[in-house]
Amino acid sequence: MAEKKKGRLTNVLDYLKHDDPFSKGVAFCPGCGLELLLRFIPRVLGNDIVITGTPSCSAPVLLGQNRQSWHTLSYFGTLMTGAAANATGLVRYYKKAGIDNTVVCFNGDGTANDIGFGNLSGAAERNEPFIYICYDNEGYMNTGIQKSGTTPYGATTTTTPYGTVHRGKNLRRMNLGLKMAMNKIPYTATATLSDLEDLAKKLLKAKKAKERGFCFLHVFAPCPTGWGADPADTIDICRQAVKSNYFPLWEAENGKIRMTKTVKKPKPVSSYTKMMKKFNHMTEKDMKILQEDVEYEYCLLGGLSVLEAECQLPVSAEDGGEKL
Amino acid sequence: MSSNQFFNHQGPWSDATEPLMCTDTGDWRTKRPVVDREKCIFCGFCAIYCPVQVMEMKADYFEPDLGFCKGCGICAKECPKNAITMVSEGEFVS
Ligand SMILES: Cc1ncc(C[n+]2csc(CCOP(=O)(O)OP(=O)(O)O)c2C)c(N)n1
Ligand code: SF4
Ligand code: SF4
Ligand code: SF4
Repeated sequence: MAEKKKGRLTNVLDYLKHDDPFSKGVAFCPGCGLELLLRFIPRVLGNDIVITGTPSCSAPVLLGQNRQSWHTLSYFGTLMTGAAANATGLVRYYKKAGIDNTVVCFNGDGTANDIGFGNLSGAAERNEPFIYICYDNEGYMNTGIQKSGTTPYGATTTTTPYGTVHRGKNLRRMNLGLKMAMNKIPYTATATLSDLEDLAKKLLKAKKAKERGFCFLHVFAPCPTGWGADPADTIDICRQAVKSNYFPLWEAENGKIRMTKTVKKPKPVSSYTKMMKKFNHMTEKDMKILQEDVEYEYCLLGGLSVLEAECQLPVSAEDGGEKL
Repeated sequence: MSSNQFFNHQGPWSDATEPLMCTDTGDWRTKRPVVDREKCIFCGFCAIYCPVQVMEMKADYFEPDLGFCKGCGICAKECPKNAITMVSEGEFVS
């Protein structure tokens, strides 16, 4: 028989240096982006990290039940309101005790952007030396798919339904990653599951940068159950989100933004939204609003990434603005 | 001081003498990924993208652990050679 044609094994496998600490059968929905992310992090960063987390879709698996666990990691379950404050306590204790390890504060967007934002902001201000990872499934999934601050314009959730009165969420999505990068913390990055090598590199960079202080990763992680998507499409949804600039990939060291992937010809955002039911009802007019919002945020990112090179005064100070 | 000195045991919620909890998630599956070994070019994409991480590396192909594969179909969709077909579990009932 002729020798079988072989390709090259993907580079991503080189980053998976450690064992998977989770048992094989854990309770996440089929095709869940969160599951892939959660298994990936300790395989890249090592099994000796300490994870903290809140009530969310990750909690049933991270917490364990009765006296048994689903994994061999050290985990500290906290309240949604105090996620980053609890992680702060942990790193400070470790520092005093002279223990060198990595604390990963792992939370959903509901905790990071909304309910636990106050103390996330405080930890960033004080530059606490741990890694905060927000997995963004664009809503409060564990309590039944309610909208969060990162739910995009138009998306239906159980609190922003589509019907005779409402047409999905009528507010725009907040940009959590940029919000954090603006604090000039040592490392901020966005990442997603279609670009796993990029994600692995960013995790390793964060592990190093946390020696200098607070690190924040914003990871786009689709939820097929809540978004009405085919579980098989999870990775492709991430890919389309990047290709349409809906979720651009960038990193910022000390606030200085650098794109880690640029898309030559961005696809219309409809190539992304058509992959899930939560956007099914959207008309051309609705889509235009979402498209313009995506373009606005991308321009903002572009502007910020050249800021250091050609810093300009805000327009109003030059012309038109009131002179004092 | 090495962190391993403190963290070489199971998580704080677990009893280190008891095995990890494990659900037979293979029972959830309605479709089964079937790998065509001849078509497989051994690139590993199915393995890295599988959320459950059950695609096992063999000599020159990958194969799912059917005890835990949830049947999501990501491996089949991401395979660049279309070497994986999702087949209804009904086909395997004897
Ligand atoms: C202060 C507080 N408010 C509300 C809740 C109820 N609650 C439990 S899980 C959850 C959803 C969490 O959403 P998110 O952090 O985005 O994680 P996801 O479920 O999407 O994984 C909520 C609101 C709570 N536990 N604590
Ligand atoms: S509801 Fe969504 S985020 Fe939660 S386990 Fe299911 S797929 Fe994952
Ligand atoms: S993705 Fe397809 S070609 Fe690549 S290793 Fe898996 S089955 Fe083989
Ligand atoms: S169907 Fe899903 S769970 Fe099963 S091997 Fe493929 S990617 Fe993994």
